[in-house]
Amino acid sequence: MVIAERRLRATSGFYKNYVKKFYEDAHRAKVEKRPVAWVSSTFPVETLQAMEIVPVWPENYASVCAARQVSVELCERAEREGFSRDLCSYSRCVLGSMFGYEKELPEGGLPKPDFLVTTTCACDTHLKWFQVASRLYKVPLFLLDVPYNTGGGDSDHLDKAHIEYYMSQLEELFAFLEKQTDKKLEMGRLRETLAVSDWTSKLWMEIQDYRKTIPCPMDARDAFSAVFFMLCMPGSQLAVDYYTQLRDEVRQRVKDGIGVIDNERFRLIWDNLPLWFSLRVFEYLNSLGAIVVAEVFSHTWAGSLDQAKPLESLARKYLPNMANSSVQRRVDIIVNLVKDFHVNGVVLPTNWGCRMMSLSETIVRDALYKKLGVQSLIIDVDSSDWRVAGEEQVKERLATFLETLRKA
Amino acid sequence: MEVTQKFRHVLMARHEIAREWKSRNQPVVGWTSTYTPEEVVYAAGALSVMVFAGLGDTKVADAYMPSNSCSFARACFNAALKGEYEYLDAFVESNACDNRGKTYDMWVNYSKIPNIYFINTPHTNTEKAHQFFYQEVVKFKEWLENTLKKRISNDSLKNAIRIYNENRILLKKIHDLKMKKPPVISGVEFLEIALSSLVMSKEEHSKLLSGFLEEVENRRDLPKEGVRLLVTGSVMDNTELVRLIESVGGNVVADDWCTGSRYFWNTVDFNGDPLKAIAKRYLDKVPSSFMYQHEQRFRHVAELAKQFGVEGAIMFVIKYCDTHMFDAPLLRDELKAMGLPVLYLEWEHSMSGFAGLKTRIEAFIEMVGGVK
Repeated sequence: MVIAERRLRATSGFYKNYVKKFYEDAHRAKVEKRPVAWVSSTFPVETLQAMEIVPVWPENYASVCAARQVSVELCERAEREGFSRDLCSYSRCVLGSMFGYEKELPEGGLPKPDFLVTTTCACDTHLKWFQVASRLYKVPLFLLDVPYNTGGGDSDHLDKAHIEYYMSQLEELFAFLEKQTDKKLEMGRLRETLAVSDWTSKLWMEIQDYRKTIPCPMDARDAFSAVFFMLCMPGSQLAVDYYTQLRDEVRQRVKDGIGVIDNERFRLIWDNLPLWFSLRVFEYLNSLGAIVVAEVFSHTWAGSLDQAKPLESLARKYLPNMANSSVQRRVDIIVNLVKDFHVNGVVLPTNWGCRMMSLSETIVRDALYKKLGVQSLIIDVDSSDWRVAGEEQVKERLATFLETLRKA
Repeated sequence: MEVTQKFRHVLMARHEIAREWKSRNQPVVGWTSTYTPEEVVYAAGALSVMVFAGLGDTKVADAYMPSNSCSFARACFNAALKGEYEYLDAFVESNACDNRGKTYDMWVNYSKIPNIYFINTPHTNTEKAHQFFYQEVVKFKEWLENTLKKRISNDSLKNAIRIYNENRILLKKIHDLKMKKPPVISGVEFLEIALSSLVMSKEEHSKLLSGFLEEVENRRDLPKEGVRLLVTGSVMDNTELVRLIESVGGNVVADDWCTGSRYFWNTVDFNGDPLKAIAKRYLDKVPSSFMYQHEQRFRHVAELAKQFGVEGAIMFVIKYCDTHMFDAPLLRDELKAMGLPVLYLEWEHSMSGFAGLKTRIEAFIEMVGGVK
């Protein structure tokens, strides 16, 4: 197979060069007594970066533990403390790592936070999980309470009252951060961070755009690695530098007509999370002539930020996140991806402990079929707990799905 | 006892009651979250009912909702798909937990209810949250006015507050009857009383409650004295589990359910703008587990345990209810620190696994009773 050679240069060694380093930096910050905060996804992390607070992402850490094949042991550790097996595996995995683990934890574990910041924007689980951490570590927890985007509109079509409530809480967040760090937030510094984050988003979306090309220059495996900067540190120069390099390489591939695989029989969309414990699944798809040209996940985190309206644009970036919106938003996103990326099949993986992602998949499936005649596969998996479904089971389901698509 | 049977009858006949109400050209509004500001519904001249479901499988809903979604939400949706709520003029959903928020899409896309509304419920009770929720309650009032074609006056809101407060105070009085040893009423009887308040006119319910309070003073057939237990959890819309506990030697003397004590514990503190007062009550009440101030609920539970002299606690967590699953180990540790034995149980609304629950409850009660 030629697949291994077709991986992008920019993403080879990604973990060692960037993710590992990220955790080393966070541990060093702790030693140097710089403030460290735990943060959950869909939180406006740019605010922390603007105040030189080191953000640590428990969710990312869970995916690291899954890739290192220790997530299930850690989940079991949390289950022994009484946390139900039906809870989000990310949270179980991280709680497990906090309760004491007899072996060495990947990257030395998560550095203990000085405080926690979370939001209801993605799910209640973020709040509940951080409440547990807050009690255990006896550190304060800030909640950014985000109204549900019932109308399902995008950043230009949001409820005014929702934006105002969001913005008023950003003021409270600044006061909280200032109190925790004993430092003033400089508006100029916030504006600069937003400008960098805005550029990061633009580069990332440009990279995604190139994947519309046939043959597709970049696979899901590379995307699920590289999306790290979008989530964890969008407001940093490192993100801009990295995505510039990645963009150049992807653009060159498009110019040269080089794809990940040569004969694309199936162009797929992958919704939700990957199986972090087995990203090989994507290579398996390649071996069957299929390529994932768009992950809904990769199209979820970008957002333009206007330096002139820092608070409002943060609200507009995060509030319409798919998890925080009625299903219409998810349908709209996926329908557009199917059209723009020349897609002929959609994979809708559930995530056992995640209501937000599991609960509307039938509506998405039905809408895609009705509107575009495109078939979807709903498949019960968990991103980090392979007891729900193992790699081989998943491969079998995917192969059967491709067979259905071939006959269609 | 004659008068408790009335409540049981209401529960059994709840659909007929609603249909009868409707036959008088009065609208019926359903909801599943006890954060729904019901006073506003009442003030619109509508019957406000909590949507709940019978036990048993949820085959119809299972075609739309995955098996890892809240089994209560699935059961309610199943009932709707089967046409059990065809009389609803409107259904109100909210983000008072993720399962609810996402089930909203299901009702909108697949149910035949003509009007569906979503109330944004903050997960905290800060000053800003209060301001936001007040606006939400105002919008809800306007929506109801337009949908039901009925103006809601300040006077009717004030009257609704009075009616609802009265009902809450009576319910609390009856709940307090369980403080006595032996309790004056059983856990099953109390749950029937509490649940019936969710599906009938509050005025009529309060009349039944007053009648009950008079009659109960001379009660002779007191419940059999057993192991005094506290029960906690999210929602309990049926009496099966309490009946089970009481059939094997337990007395359920205090509860922390959204359909139990959390429903009536707090009244509307009435002064000034009635809508403001209503909105405030809901965000400040003994919270559900999706709220930031979850420790306020732990304190409520601890207080109940002391006041009602309980000897043990059973935590009922409905399957796939994330917020309670996270709280459970924390609350368990708090209760244990008070010296109380605790049993943690996860249950499916369908009652599959009932036999397993029975065995564990029996063993627990025997253990707690033996310690006595």
